[in-house]
Amino acid sequence: MTRLLVPFAIRAYLAGGLVAVTAPVIGSFLVQRRLSLIGDGMGHLAFAGVALGLWMGISPVWGALGAAVLGGFVLEVLRARGRLAGDLSLALIFYFGIALGIVVLSAIDRFDASALTVLFGNILVTDWTDIAVIAVLCAAVLGVTAVFYKELLAVALDEETARASGLPVDRLNVLLLVLTALLVAAGMHVVGLLLIAALLVIPVAAGSRLAHSFRGSMLWGVAAGFASALVGLVGSIAQGTLASGGAIVLTAIAVFVLATVIGRRAARRHPRRVGA
Amino acid sequence: MPVTVELTGVRFGYGAEPILDGVDLDLSAGEFAVLAGANGSGKSTLLKLCVGLLRPADGSVTVLGGSPLDPAIRRRIGYAPQGLRMATSLPVSVTEVVAAGLTPSKGLLRRMDRRDWSKVNAALESVGLGDLSAECLFELSGGQQQRAILARALVADPDILLLDEPTTGIDQRLRPALAQELRRRADAGATVVAVSHDPDDFHQECDRILVIEDGRVRQITHEEFHTHLALGGGGSR
Ligand SMILES: Nc1ncnc2c1ncn2[C@@H]1O[C@H](COP(=O)(O)OP(=O)(O)O)[C@@H](O)[C@H]1O
Ligand SMILES: [Mg+2]
Repeated sequence: MTRLLVPFAIRAYLAGGLVAVTAPVIGSFLVQRRLSLIGDGMGHLAFAGVALGLWMGISPVWGALGAAVLGGFVLEVLRARGRLAGDLSLALIFYFGIALGIVVLSAIDRFDASALTVLFGNILVTDWTDIAVIAVLCAAVLGVTAVFYKELLAVALDEETARASGLPVDRLNVLLLVLTALLVAAGMHVVGLLLIAALLVIPVAAGSRLAHSFRGSMLWGVAAGFASALVGLVGSIAQGTLASGGAIVLTAIAVFVLATVIGRRAARRHPRRVGA
Repeated sequence: MPVTVELTGVRFGYGAEPILDGVDLDLSAGEFAVLAGANGSGKSTLLKLCVGLLRPADGSVTVLGGSPLDPAIRRRIGYAPQGLRMATSLPVSVTEVVAAGLTPSKGLLRRMDRRDWSKVNAALESVGLGDLSAECLFELSGGQQQRAILARALVADPDILLLDEPTTGIDQRLRPALAQELRRRADAGATVVAVSHDPDDFHQECDRILVIEDGRVRQITHEEFHTHLALGGGGSR
């Protein structure tokens, strides 16, 4: 199957691989803190950012990034004040982002198939510039996470105790959201803004079924994300018309189910439960 | 011995009603105090004021000569909150929880080195969790989880230990060793405050018994503490 190795396919593997490996790293902190939906909120707001960007003549990635960062700050302020506890405020943000995006796109007469690309991704049309941008964004996320790993983990484990022990919790929270925004922008071409949060969450959930530690969940999550991207992309390229983003996310869900089954089996064979 | 924790005229309430209403308290280096009082009397609130998680409406809280909001001072306090206040979304190993206690004093950009890991192991040994270091915290019993939280507070060798109900769920037969560990810390110069309703927990080892009543802190004797409990003043057991 030579079409699996043509240049556009190679670019797809690169972009998909980079995003799928990076997303679980940042996603682990979000899942542990029950902030999974924040990634979704940013994705929806980023759609409005793309539209506003097109209107102002800015490239979609930067529009998405700007809106995601801005949205991240707003979401963090709401979260810190306990205003995100109910699902109503997040739902409002989701609808706001999508509705604003559609209104702006239609106002400038750009509400066409390219809107679908932004929402659901089309990794098969990425060019080398896109790949370079994705690589820089992912490298930034991975590098900064590596530097602040132990601080981010301490806050994710117990925010109040982290604060009491002198960690700059507020700044670390903002950092986490900025990193999430970078990843959302990087993932736009790969799975699209509506599905990017799936890559933040599902591989990590799969990893957690196989691990006994946070680090283990993250590393298994990276493996699960990479496998999902590879299988999903090969499947959609081989078949020819399958949407790559949807294929990747469906594969990730299958990997999650598989990991759950394997995790249950392992637990039954080697019960780790210990005495009182 | 120098005074390490000093509260003067501290008032605090979550709403209009005051919980603490004029608390005066001095604690010194080397002192091991037990903090008692009925359920809802404000024990946890008092500890949170001492670590700066809450701020007094009136009066002052001075810790190690400064404000408990100062990160440099906070790093010298080991705080164990009441119960396991942790999201259980992902598995977390016992080692990871305890190592988090070293994070603030490590500084940014500094990775955990071999000495840090040996501190983590020593803290785990001191609470009897050496064998369970690789286990997932949420698969352990309540008492084992409590001991992991305690090890996190101990691991950085803090000058002040503020422990909120550290014996909850812990086996009766393990408690003397715990009391002795805290005594050792005090003898080495730390100020130790442990919230407890059970006079037997720290009876042998502690220097002072403090009780919160009607929003104020006063010191009582072991005998008074027993009578106090007999009269139903001790609260939550
Ligand atoms: N976050 C809070 N908001 C409002 N009231 C609170 C809060 N935390 C504690 N309280 C109330 O303050 C009082 C003292 O609480 P606490 O310090 O936890 O008591 P203790 O630890 O002695 O059992 C209780 O009546 C409790 O209901
Ligand atoms: Mg309490």
